[in-house]
Amino acid sequence: MGPANVLTGVELSPYAVEGRTPEAAVFPGSVDEVRAVIELAAAASVPVVAWGGGTAAAVGTPVSRGGLVLGLARLNRLVEHEPGDLTATVEAGMTMAALEAALRARGQWLSLDPPEPERATVGGVVAANASGSRRHLYGAARDLVIGLTAVTGEGAVVRGGGKVVKNVAGYDLPKLFVGSFGTLGVIVDVTVKLRPLPDCERLVAVRFERLKDAGVAARAVMGSDLIPTALDLADAEAARALGLAPGGPALLVGFDGVVEQVDWQCAELGRVVGLGGGGRVEILQPPMWGRLPLAARLAFDPPAAVMRLSVLPAQVSEVMEQGAEAARARGFASAWSAHAGVGVVTATIHGAGRIEPADVAVVLSEWRGVARGAGGHATIEWAPLAVKAEIPVWDDPGPAARIMQRIKAHLDPGNVLNPGRFVAGI
Amino acid sequence: MAAVPESRKPDLRRQLEAIVGRGGVLSDPAELLVYESDGLTLFRALADFVVFPTSAEQVAEVVRLANREDLPFVARGAGTGLSGGCLPAEGGLVISLMRMNRVLEVDYENQIAVVEPGLVNLHLSWAVGPQGYYYAPDPSSQQACTIGGNIANNSGGPHTLKYGVTVNHVLGLEVVLPDGEIVWLGGRTRETPGYDLPGIFVGSEGTFGIATKIVVRILRKPQAVKTVLAVFDEVAHASAAVSEIIARGLVPAAVEMIDQLTIAAVEDAFGCGYPRDAAAALLVELDGLAAGMEAQAERIVAACRDSGAREVRTARDEAERQLLWKGRKSAFGAYGRVSPAYMVMDGVIPRTKLPYVLDRVNAIVAAHGLRVGNVFHAGDGNLHPNILYDPRRPGEEARVVAAGAEIMKLCAEVGGSISGEHGIGLEKADFMPFIFSAADLRFMQRLKDAFNPEGRCNPGKVFPTRKSCGEAGAVAYRPHPIEEKGLAQRF
Repeated sequence: MGPANVLTGVELSPYAVEGRTPEAAVFPGSVDEVRAVIELAAAASVPVVAWGGGTAAAVGTPVSRGGLVLGLARLNRLVEHEPGDLTATVEAGMTMAALEAALRARGQWLSLDPPEPERATVGGVVAANASGSRRHLYGAARDLVIGLTAVTGEGAVVRGGGKVVKNVAGYDLPKLFVGSFGTLGVIVDVTVKLRPLPDCERLVAVRFERLKDAGVAARAVMGSDLIPTALDLADAEAARALGLAPGGPALLVGFDGVVEQVDWQCAELGRVVGLGGGGRVEILQPPMWGRLPLAARLAFDPPAAVMRLSVLPAQVSEVMEQGAEAARARGFASAWSAHAGVGVVTATIHGAGRIEPADVAVVLSEWRGVARGAGGHATIEWAPLAVKAEIPVWDDPGPAARIMQRIKAHLDPGNVLNPGRFVAGI
Repeated sequence: MAAVPESRKPDLRRQLEAIVGRGGVLSDPAELLVYESDGLTLFRALADFVVFPTSAEQVAEVVRLANREDLPFVARGAGTGLSGGCLPAEGGLVISLMRMNRVLEVDYENQIAVVEPGLVNLHLSWAVGPQGYYYAPDPSSQQACTIGGNIANNSGGPHTLKYGVTVNHVLGLEVVLPDGEIVWLGGRTRETPGYDLPGIFVGSEGTFGIATKIVVRILRKPQAVKTVLAVFDEVAHASAAVSEIIARGLVPAAVEMIDQLTIAAVEDAFGCGYPRDAAAALLVELDGLAAGMEAQAERIVAACRDSGAREVRTARDEAERQLLWKGRKSAFGAYGRVSPAYMVMDGVIPRTKLPYVLDRVNAIVAAHGLRVGNVFHAGDGNLHPNILYDPRRPGEEARVVAAGAEIMKLCAEVGGSISGEHGIGLEKADFMPFIFSAADLRFMQRLKDAFNPEGRCNPGKVFPTRKSCGEAGAVAYRPHPIEEKGLAQRF
């Protein structure tokens, strides 16, 4: 693939994760080159770390051996977009923002809005199961990816799903790759389901004095006739970080559709959440959408750790309150935001002065307990290695771990792809 | 072909009875006949036993027994499948889940329900309906088919255009693995640690294990529904209207197409108000908020008119809406008036290829000296050509099968798929290479081996085999019993 596409030595600094530098980084320009790289690495027993935009590179247990970064940046074309079919096939290295621009130009969009779309790539978003606020109505990667091609740890090119929106032929391999963090194959292209651009879209905020009341309001919206595209909660810290007017916690609600739908829902929202005639439903500017999934992270620069909790939706505000209290009790600040309707919560922790990794780990462990108490799980999304040494990154998959390990052993028998990064030692 | 020698049967029967009770085992050949096929009666296979467990523990014990005794086994719901997926292709045990049919729990605040696999699909919507909720996947056999069967096939239905298929509504499952262990895959939350095991279990056609509890999402019922009928003199115009609706920024809940032969049959049988001389009709349904519904309906009417519809009308009330849907839903029954038998095909194509593919389908079927009626989910390109034939005429069934294979090849050639909702089962196992490479199939086989290493759990399905064990082509079509009772249609 030529010397320009192989990085070594000091050029590798952008690909260092938590101070660990890979042995080399290569940027193949075709699927054949991806195969060749993987075959070479497998033969030399060098782990392969697929790399899109690097936005999720620090997620997971650090890979046990140094390794080869396989960058997908050169595989960045929109292969096919047929508006009449509402589908597009995209190479894995295309950024979400570039894809979005291409689709918008033709009146369509991919209803997946993960953080950092300028950096995040389509393949990386699928591998990390990254998502944003609009998943409330439109689902996450598992609901939108209808086909993909991956290169296995043995260098085989494997295609799953297809290019049509409805398809039950064969096992649904795209589901397996979504959220698999590069442990089963290197994704080289993805086919997604699209939507026509709505006539109108609006994001509004309703403020509350107490998080508890914001939580009650979120539940009222879920049980109402409203069909929001997004239903987020931000605690006071996260609301401040979003740049909302000073005030307490916020309920952030998105709507789209024809203008009558959006207007009616904005009006009805005030009634549903129990605002009197003078209640404030504040309309936010469109760029706020991009900040929403980052709300908790924007609160501290840098945070001491970031955790992602998946809990029962009705318990989101209690989880946020309990978690914040647990941090406070140990002398830490924290910020909390959530996609409340789907129960996905992000929390960041912050301490002043010198922070002991063990103390951070204690709080994260308590947060994990809070998540379990609310019927869920918690994963460390980002933390320094010293913290990861104190507490497992991934929550326990339970007895299903055995199946997951068998899947990994069957599909990547050489354990070439991201060894040790994922759950259960995978 | 039965796997078990007669001499072993009394002992096996005693062991099975010890697990599920005396009333829970069938082994009389006359009783086993009921379970020899599913809705696709072209394929038959006899089990040695049919067992009716009432709990996950019983399912697990039966599975462990099957492993001990080296018997193949397959789970079965209502038997409404259309690909032979629940047939005991190599004999052994059919494990019927029909006695595990409870709604175990409904959590309205979190909008989930926990159900047993033998629960009839529609009964879940009935159970949660009074609180204003429903279960979205609506296969046309929903009055009879079970949620467990829907899991196996990742079932769709007319409204999947907007709401997605079964997998989009399943959060977790308790399953009995092929080795008899009971484990939870996923759970009640949207994200669980590790691989998306519920995501791959759904649609695995019973080859990864047997689901014994299922956590599904339930949705709020829409405030309003509006149904539009558009009538066309040319099929190409109806196809163009489908794309035009999408081009105008709308994703309806359903877009269904009915062709001329089908319209005539439906009108003869039921008189639903479709013009019998039309080349095609589109049934378009919008649902959601009352606000803006009128504006969207107007846009759909305009899209149809601009695409050349000769008549477009909106159902004025629920009665008219039901009548229009009756025309769509009773199409399969109506074919009975014009043909002694038919075979329903299931394929998917990119919707922009509709005009070309429909022409080709008609030509293929005509070349085999047969007729075809088309009634299908146009919005997502999911075709259901129904080939009409007379099983009493020698050789006609073989021509149907040949035409079907050509249609599947056509779907593959235009970038589509060989199944949109009926599954691969026995019927299409040998068509898998039309859309998957040897490497793809090897990868899938390894995935199967991770769940089902001994291969005893539903053998002979999904993958192209040496030779399918069903006896295709030998036996005349006959309607499924539930079809005769008018409980289900085939699409």
